[in-house]
Amino acid sequence: MSGEIRLEIKNLTLGFGNLVALSDVNLQLRRGEILGVIGPNGAGKTCLLNCISGFYKPQKGQILYQNKDLLKIPAHTISQLGISRTFQNVELYTGLSSLDNLLAARHIHIQYGLLSALFHFGPSMREEVKHRRAIEDIVKLLEIEDIRDHVVGSLPYGLRKRVELGRALVQEPEILLLDEPMAGMNVEEKEDMARFIIDINELKGTSVMLIEHDMGVVMDITHRIAVLDFGNKIAEGTPEEIKENPVVINAYLGKA
Amino acid sequence: MESRKQDLDTIPKLLHNRALEYGRHQIAMRKKDYGIWNEYTWQDVYEHVKNIAYGLLSLGFEKGDKITIIGDNDPEWFWAEWAAQSLGGAAVGVYIDCIPSEVKYYIEHSDSTFVFARDQEQVDKILEIHGQLPKLKKVIYWDPRGLWFYDTSKAVAMKVLEDLGQKHAEDHPDLFEKFLSQGKEDDIAVFCYTSGTTGLPKGAMLSHRNLLYAVGVLEQYNRFLPMENYLSYISPAWLTEQILGLCGGVLIPLVLHFPEKPETVQVDIRDIAPHIIFYGARLWESLASTIQVKITDSTPLKIFFHNLALRISHKKLEAKEKGEKIGLLLEILHRLADFIVFRPLRDRIGFTKNKVGYTAGAAISPDMMRLFHAIGINIKNLYGTTEASLISLHRDDDIRYETIGVPFEGCEVKISEEGEILVKSGGVFVGYYKNPEETAKVLKDGYYHTRDAGLFDRGHLVYLDRVDEMIELSDGKKFSPQYTEIRLRFSPYVRDVMVFGGEGKPFVSALLNIDYDNVGKWAERRKMTYTTYIDLSQKKEVRDLLKGIVEKVNSVLPEYARIKAFVSLHKEFDADEAELTRTRKLKRKPIEERYKEILTGIYEKKESIKVESQVAYRDGRVGMVRTEIIVNYLN
Repeated sequence: MSGEIRLEIKNLTLGFGNLVALSDVNLQLRRGEILGVIGPNGAGKTCLLNCISGFYKPQKGQILYQNKDLLKIPAHTISQLGISRTFQNVELYTGLSSLDNLLAARHIHIQYGLLSALFHFGPSMREEVKHRRAIEDIVKLLEIEDIRDHVVGSLPYGLRKRVELGRALVQEPEILLLDEPMAGMNVEEKEDMARFIIDINELKGTSVMLIEHDMGVVMDITHRIAVLDFGNKIAEGTPEEIKENPVVINAYLGKA
Repeated sequence: MESRKQDLDTIPKLLHNRALEYGRHQIAMRKKDYGIWNEYTWQDVYEHVKNIAYGLLSLGFEKGDKITIIGDNDPEWFWAEWAAQSLGGAAVGVYIDCIPSEVKYYIEHSDSTFVFARDQEQVDKILEIHGQLPKLKKVIYWDPRGLWFYDTSKAVAMKVLEDLGQKHAEDHPDLFEKFLSQGKEDDIAVFCYTSGTTGLPKGAMLSHRNLLYAVGVLEQYNRFLPMENYLSYISPAWLTEQILGLCGGVLIPLVLHFPEKPETVQVDIRDIAPHIIFYGARLWESLASTIQVKITDSTPLKIFFHNLALRISHKKLEAKEKGEKIGLLLEILHRLADFIVFRPLRDRIGFTKNKVGYTAGAAISPDMMRLFHAIGINIKNLYGTTEASLISLHRDDDIRYETIGVPFEGCEVKISEEGEILVKSGGVFVGYYKNPEETAKVLKDGYYHTRDAGLFDRGHLVYLDRVDEMIELSDGKKFSPQYTEIRLRFSPYVRDVMVFGGEGKPFVSALLNIDYDNVGKWAERRKMTYTTYIDLSQKKEVRDLLKGIVEKVNSVLPEYARIKAFVSLHKEFDADEAELTRTRKLKRKPIEERYKEILTGIYEKKESIKVESQVAYRDGRVGMVRTEIIVNYLN
């Protein structure tokens, strides 16, 4: 992949007290690529994502996106810039329907003001229709038509994860951060999810940063992989290179 | 029917006439997409059909060519089929879950030159076998998701085909109308492949005359009003949908509704509240068990009222069956029960406006028919075969649950000495494609030999079983395993069952499949823990549950036909393992062969049997399962 660099992480260091979660990490995400981030538990993968999406404030370093340092802007503006994410433990409104969850995430694109929303016709109506249409595209893509009106709290785990991916997608992000989208899924659900990620990447050209423990999936669908271990980036390369890399084998994949 | 003129003797001609008659003023179809119902007027439908037909012509379709269609019920399926029929061609419908080798057989055997496929999954199946199909000119798909980068020399989108058609139409105006006027009622309209309980599927050819006849006879027993709502749900690969949806939709005409996806039908049906519903017997069965399970899951108060209402309703039905006068009190109570319990219940399942529900395909248990009538659903047995089309049906005021109704006027039915049902009518098919020997075997002296065993009882036809499935027991008495099976399947806890007896089998025995969902819920309510299907199926409590169900059915059977031993099987019968047909009928020989060891064990009166069986997992992998299953004996 030789796409232009869209997101650049420079010398990122994050600590909690004496505990170093990330130490001097450098990483680039290029246009249209799927970048896998792997590493043992506690390696700092989720911390990395939390830094990008503004949950954590690291002590040192920069995260550059569209000529802005994401660490210097408020967290809620990051999704407006075009970065969306999913969470390791699903974070949806459990009392709302799938559709409402998706609609809620669409707020960043809504143009009309409070006054026109009060009179629900004309421009605000037209906009609502436009947004619903965009959401239905995602509903179709993720094949969740049959649970459109189901309350999220009543859905099985695999489907909740799908709705959560949907919520990230309706924001039409340029960069998608996925935190273990396949954890706790059976083989069939994993295959579906992998297919969706590939579709999103190919159809919309979305760059994806994927944290995942299932090595089969990571090796299959990513273009490049970065390996973290105790907060340090120990390797980076194509799936083939990573499979052969002795440092990685030692730290993570296990000795043959 | 009044509006049918003499010269409108094919379905496409009727469609043309509808477009002239209703144009853009009447809705012909509704398809749920993007969560909303999209409407197509008669003019829209006609234009799509015309464009597709021109498109096919531009790609080399010739008069009499066949097309194969594989997909769910979508407007596009209907358009493609009507387009082919407009050009004097015929359509072959294929079930969406067929594997590539089956699809290949249908395309190859029917000499199809074009295939219409729903989506990427179906297109992939055909591209996999594309090289082995020299006659195939093009694959056309109507859901382009994921197919943008496919080789267009092999597969194109329906949109592209229609654009091609529009261009072709500019160069050849009136060509379509010329084709249309050349159509004759004896032209073959569809090939319906018989489900193949025995041997390779045979392609039964049905003409426009056959299909129009079938809709005509339905109207003898039910008055349809134009523009009533119809839910197109059962696959058009099955003749019944060809009759009601594809032919009746234009002839009556109906407003055809297409669910968003098969999975969403429960929601979609509530939006539509169709007047006419056609479900296969198995679908009614699963609807009944869904209702039963949902009710058992609800609050004690609701259960109490439901049971009370059901008792009142059954009492009224009983009185009606006996021909007694229904007392005023009972009538009032029934109205009340209907208002408080059954109306909301019918609303929940989308039956608020329903006038009639047909069931066909396999026998349905009388108890279940009674249950549906009790909750106010007018369900009727419709009897027919692929080759003889529709044969008999219940009249509105003359429904007897144990029969398959009264033969239609103009449909001659007689019972042969062997006990076989023979039929002569305008619905009897033209013949099997490329198979005159088989055709001659079943068509003798103008009668179609159904191979169904039946008898007449006070004017009603009673279906017993397939002639070949009637089993002579060791004491010479004949019994029908299917008769017992449907009664067992009425229990929500029994998903499938096959009953054995006859030669080399001193008594009647059965293999049962528990219904994993329902038995699972039952177990959860009793705070029982279980891991897998295998584990659950062998639990003592579950086996006792099954024993009770078997005993109950036994009590209505004659002594010689009662089940003496049964096994709760460690796996479900599976169409992918050739144990069931795609319409979920049992494939008896393969099942008997496969579970030979278990059967031997039962007849050797063993306590338990060790089994090792190959299972296909949902993701396609194949594995081995070793377990021990217990034989349950009844006194």
